[in-house]
Amino acid sequence: MTAGDLNLTNRSPESALSRLTRFVGAENLSLIIALIFLVLAVSSQTEFLFSSRNLFNIGQNMAVVGLIAVGMTLVIVSNGLDISVGSIAGCASVVCALIVTGSGSVPGGLAGGIAIGAVLGLVNALIINYLRVNAVVATLATMSAFRGIAFLIAPEGRPVGVLDPTFALLGSGRFLQMGSFPGVPIAFAILVGVAIVGYFVMSSTVFGRSIYSMGGNPAAARLAGINLNRMRLWIYAISGALSGLAGVIVTARTSSGQPASGTQGLELEAITAVFLGGALLAGGKGTIVGTMLAVLLLAVLSNGMNLLGIPTFYQLVAKGLLLVLAVAIGQWRMAMAEKRQAKLTASGAH
Amino acid sequence: MKNNVLDIRAVGKSFPGVRALQNLSMAVGAGEVVAFVGENGAGKSTLLKILSGDYHLDQGQVVLDGVEVSHASPLAARNAGFRLVRQEPEIVPDISVAENIFVGEYPSRSFGRVDFAGLRAEVTALLKRYGFADLIDIDAMGRSLSPAQMHVVEIMRALKPGVKVVAFDEPTSSLTSDEVARLFDLIRKLKAEGLGIVYVSHRLQEVMAISDRVIVLKDGQQTGDLMTADTTEDEIVRLMVGRELIHGFKRQETTRDEVVLKVEGLSSRWHRDISFQIRAGEILGFAGLVGAGRTELAKVIFGEFRRIGGKVTLLGHVSDIRSPADAIRANIGFAPENRKDEGLILVRSVIEIAAMAIYARLARWGVLRTGQMVEAVGPVIRQLEVKTPSLSQEVGKLSGGNQQKVVLARWLAAGPRLLILDEPTRAVDVGAKAEIYRLIDRLASDGMAIMMISSEMPELLALSDRIVVMRDGSLSAPIEKLHATEEAIVALALGSGAAA
Repeated sequence: MTAGDLNLTNRSPESALSRLTRFVGAENLSLIIALIFLVLAVSSQTEFLFSSRNLFNIGQNMAVVGLIAVGMTLVIVSNGLDISVGSIAGCASVVCALIVTGSGSVPGGLAGGIAIGAVLGLVNALIINYLRVNAVVATLATMSAFRGIAFLIAPEGRPVGVLDPTFALLGSGRFLQMGSFPGVPIAFAILVGVAIVGYFVMSSTVFGRSIYSMGGNPAAARLAGINLNRMRLWIYAISGALSGLAGVIVTARTSSGQPASGTQGLELEAITAVFLGGALLAGGKGTIVGTMLAVLLLAVLSNGMNLLGIPTFYQLVAKGLLLVLAVAIGQWRMAMAEKRQAKLTASGAH
Repeated sequence: MKNNVLDIRAVGKSFPGVRALQNLSMAVGAGEVVAFVGENGAGKSTLLKILSGDYHLDQGQVVLDGVEVSHASPLAARNAGFRLVRQEPEIVPDISVAENIFVGEYPSRSFGRVDFAGLRAEVTALLKRYGFADLIDIDAMGRSLSPAQMHVVEIMRALKPGVKVVAFDEPTSSLTSDEVARLFDLIRKLKAEGLGIVYVSHRLQEVMAISDRVIVLKDGQQTGDLMTADTTEDEIVRLMVGRELIHGFKRQETTRDEVVLKVEGLSSRWHRDISFQIRAGEILGFAGLVGAGRTELAKVIFGEFRRIGGKVTLLGHVSDIRSPADAIRANIGFAPENRKDEGLILVRSVIEIAAMAIYARLARWGVLRTGQMVEAVGPVIRQLEVKTPSLSQEVGKLSGGNQQKVVLARWLAAGPRLLILDEPTRAVDVGAKAEIYRLIDRLASDGMAIMMISSEMPELLALSDRIVVMRDGSLSAPIEKLHATEEAIVALALGSGAAA
């Protein structure tokens, strides 16, 4: 069975190009075009963009936001939102640093960071499910609370230094290094692995399909037998676990468990990426492929602004504008689709 | 000849797939009470909404006291003097009765301050004038009001200065008999003041008691304009019903012995002591007025709403269904009335909508390939002749009839033993209707037990093997197909006892 069987009418076999378009998704083509324009614009100003060391940096920078954005895709498609991801990453960063310095176990630190993330994600879901607080307010509250916890568990609220060289590989390690080729960052490889799993989960599992259903219309999903509360527990736990993993990578890169630095503002970037990647505010739409393209676009944009020497303050303004733009494009698309539907109904067509 | 305050001339209105009103002409004179009666979907609400400016008419004219208001906005219709007393008034919970009555039209002083003293004085005068001063405290908060008091607020809103025609939509549904008597006193007073009164109700005794004239609507057309004094409840019921049966469709009875669903003494927030059973291969029709509790019963059985008491037995086993997921595991399917809100996900594809309820069954280890979904629902979609370019088409881009078929396809693919259909052909065009009827017939013939809620008489009569009628949360004894007539059903639904 291939995707071609979706056609009820017989058509000529698909070309390789249209197959690629189907995989990427038509709406993601605009992202690719935007990316090409961005690359052309930046590289016309500086040659450094394509230097292998800069590409290595972009890959490494993508990892942290990218991991969180994968989880955020699940959350937003399910018609939720998780603003606490940066704070969860902060907690995980401190927890994993404490474990690694305390026990010397790198796998223990990694597992601990992911586990604390999952637990905090579960807390979010419990608040949403059983206290009936809406997702925005619930995770806004835990964004503050979890950040506070991160400072509380760090001794005296200070960063926890981690000197384990094996652990540092998670953040700045690389492989396939050859001559002038700087290799592939391990963190980036982790992101690619997670994104592939995420793609598979969203497109080919009952869990992923149910996320699309519940996001598009919770009432209909319930009546089709989907347990919304249980779904939410898993979705927010996964988002939390991936934020935890992101926190671990921040720890490894900076050689210290950071309650705040390095994990602040991640929620904004992740949410922007998901919406830019084609997710709808109303839920039910969004793909891992789109999100990953958007993460790449954002990483290149941020890198480009740095290369061109644009001050941080302007960058913050630009990031904010971009989120508005991303959501507005989605809303505009919805409105156009509704208009087309209204016309269809009015003309009485089948 | 009295002068007419309301003139409706050749009004027509269509919705996609339905002609809600056709060439309707009628008039209401000053000081006259005219009742509009008709079954669900006869066009009463549509007509009221055109008069109130909520809908726009396609053809014809509406003239209010000599002024044409055919295309008035809700505000303009109000200002011109048409006031609708809604069945379920919108009461703002946290402001006073006085403010609720004048909401949106507060008297004001300089700098946009509300003139509270003037407001209270006006409201007091209004209540006194119509004899409701003892019934309601003008400073009480909206949330503390009883249903009858809310109705008083809604009526007072209608009677603010400038009123020429007042329309009451099912005004007595939340009133006790004492309160009904007071309402009638009020209506007589308004009559004496020379207002035109439109009275819309299912309760024929009340219509006989209060109206001067009765206008009967059926399928968007007028079938009677009678002086109340010269007619009877029986005659009105006859004019409301008497539709042609569905042409060219005849169902053979296929009821088998096996009882699929047995409900005994079920009660819930909406229901008292409901008992019935459905056998394999049987279609049990549920008739009743909108709001009688039929949809709620479907949802109680499907586990969406809570059952308080009683016993539900499925295929011989006592069942304890607490959620739709339980119901689906127990082999029950439910196609809800409100397709867009409860059945479909407009932004997702045909194949997903159709396969949603059987994801868990299709998957192995939680992995679900598109191919498996195509195999499971593709043939069903083809069999139902859903007009869609591909299975990956967004379902929001299909027509109403095709959307309904996709919802039905979901349950066909699931193959339940009991299928609950709530208004299966709502907003579906005529051609698609016939196909859906054939489909329901075939499902029953294949042994499915079907619980069919419908407000369309011809549909109920043509498809059901037996019919039960729900009224105010109680269920009538089943009527066998042979004895089922529209008159009998309507009489049970209205509780008028006229033709039973």
